Amino acid sequence: MSDNVVSRRVMWAYILTGLAVFALMFVLGVFMRAEQAAWITFDAGLFYSIMTLHGAGMIVAMALCGMGGLWYIMDREQPMNPGIAWGAFAAMVIGALCVVVAALVGHFAAGWTFLYPLPFVGATWAPWATGAFLVGIALVVVGWAAYCTQLLGCVLSKYGGLRGATGWDLVFHHDAFVASGRPEPPPQAFAALVVAVDGLFAVAGGMPAGIASLAHFVDPSVAIDPLWIKNLTYEFGHTFANLTIYMAIAYVYVALPRYANREWHTSPVLAIAWWGTLLFVATAYFHHLYMDFAQPNGLQYVGEIASYLAAFPPAVVTIFGGALLVYRSKMRWSLASIFLYAGLVGWLVGGVGALLDATVPINVSLHNTLWVPAHFHTYLLQGVFLFVLGWVFAMLEARSAIVTPLVVRWIAGLGIFGGAALLLLGWYVAGSQGVPRRYAIQPAPGPEISSWATIGALILAVGLLVTLAEALRLARAVREVRA
Amino acid sequence: MAAVAIIGVMVAIARSTTGNPEAQATVTTVGYRLRRGWLWALAACAVAAFAVSLPNFPYARPSALEGRHYPVIAFQYGFEMPKTIPLNQPVVFDVTSKDVNHGFGIYAPDGKLFAQVQAMPDYVNHLALTFKVPGHYLVRCLEYCGIAHYAMQGAFDVR
Repeated sequence: MSDNVVSRRVMWAYILTGLAVFALMFVLGVFMRAEQAAWITFDAGLFYSIMTLHGAGMIVAMALCGMGGLWYIMDREQPMNPGIAWGAFAAMVIGALCVVVAALVGHFAAGWTFLYPLPFVGATWAPWATGAFLVGIALVVVGWAAYCTQLLGCVLSKYGGLRGATGWDLVFHHDAFVASGRPEPPPQAFAALVVAVDGLFAVAGGMPAGIASLAHFVDPSVAIDPLWIKNLTYEFGHTFANLTIYMAIAYVYVALPRYANREWHTSPVLAIAWWGTLLFVATAYFHHLYMDFAQPNGLQYVGEIASYLAAFPPAVVTIFGGALLVYRSKMRWSLASIFLYAGLVGWLVGGVGALLDATVPINVSLHNTLWVPAHFHTYLLQGVFLFVLGWVFAMLEARSAIVTPLVVRWIAGLGIFGGAALLLLGWYVAGSQGVPRRYAIQPAPGPEISSWATIGALILAVGLLVTLAEALRLARAVREVRA
Repeated sequence: MAAVAIIGVMVAIARSTTGNPEAQATVTTVGYRLRRGWLWALAACAVAAFAVSLPNFPYARPSALEGRHYPVIAFQYGFEMPKTIPLNQPVVFDVTSKDVNHGFGIYAPDGKLFAQVQAMPDYVNHLALTFKVPGHYLVRCLEYCGIAHYAMQGAFDVR
């Protein structure tokens, strides 16, 4: 079996598993919106078990979808040991299964953030479910740590250590670097470096939080400082979730130029932008603790500044660069290029929503309202997920002899963009009205808005089904070409 | 509005591909000039937003904690707190929790979210406010705290 076949298998295992988990979590999400719209009713305990599973499952799904392709892309630059990738994959999948069992069988319902001491106080679920959930999350973190370590090794060995991988000489000794003829890291290598380093930084926060929680689970006399563990929980959770889009952007760097018939070059500006991302993704999480007034004030300022600055690299370099790549190009529009380009739009729109929420005085009116799921669903659903779909279709379109008919592109596009717009608007409008998030039964005007949002989710589901059918049709054509 | 503007610009860029193509070098020469302007515009917006937001941070200075203090204790699933708060006088809510993390979200009589702070076990968060509108204020939990989170409410009157 050739190396290429092996690395493709790794990629498809990650991506297809991620998409399957996404589909299941999407269905659970639609049920939750329908319940909030009072279309159906179910027990609050079940609602919150589903909410816990949906939150944890979606993040793992998006992570798997990004990890597979990034591994494949970097493996082509510098071959990696597939055994480690399979080990990381197994740890994450088994971890995810533990979370499923904890939530659906054990009725664990402490939310994916499981803020200490909630999993242990006033629990309506079996104690073993708390243990299963904590072990599941620990396995996900172990798998993620193994993946990031391997990715970091790949980037450092290929581009000459940290100095080469960060593009230090490209920025500070530009002429000498060009004269030396050394190849600069391609844009996707910067994404890999930042994902690996910030990913391990997230682990450095997540591991102590997980170990402390497990210690408390085994021996309840072990006391944990609630503010300390809250910081660590968000340091891990925010950074891990945020990195999903920085993994998936590698798909845009690699695939979009093929459709635009142009090249996406590395430049000193691009390198500096990724240094900024490296720093600010790791420090923006403090915005989750704005309403914890016991937090040192200095960290609240850091939270607002880092959140603002984290927006600069994508807005000024990556998304702007994507727009320049497309502008007046011989663009070949297909489902792949539409999804990749639309993902840039979703990232920008979600970013504006996030920036408003990251402004402390505005956060007073938006913190833990539906504005929060509004902006993170925007860049997960209309950013990360579209990049993944774009990559999947780019792989299929490159190997299939057939093209997607215009009518199918329109139906898929209208379903996915129109449905998602209605779904997302529901959260934005309700959030701006102060409707709290994580309410099984919402106060007015929540239920009425949720009805519209549920309609949006159903339209989105139709768009996704059409897209799935088209992907299967292209995949069958790929198999016929091979045969 | 920002979303509509972003979508409008990105659609216009996508539509530009239906016209005569231009060389990448030509586009990037103009584009990099535009990018410099875009960077400075964003930087100016960020600095202005930070400067405007800074005086409005809700974290009370020691001098702001001199008003009358009212203890608030959150628990699964309710609040121990005063029933009446004086109008037009500085007050400080000393907010804590006896079990898990909760949110102390105050909704004004018009239904708008007026102020909030987290209620944490082992910590007391001081929320300094002056109520200028009399009426019935609803308090909702704004941090997920268990399966009756959605029903966790309290209330007080300002007069």
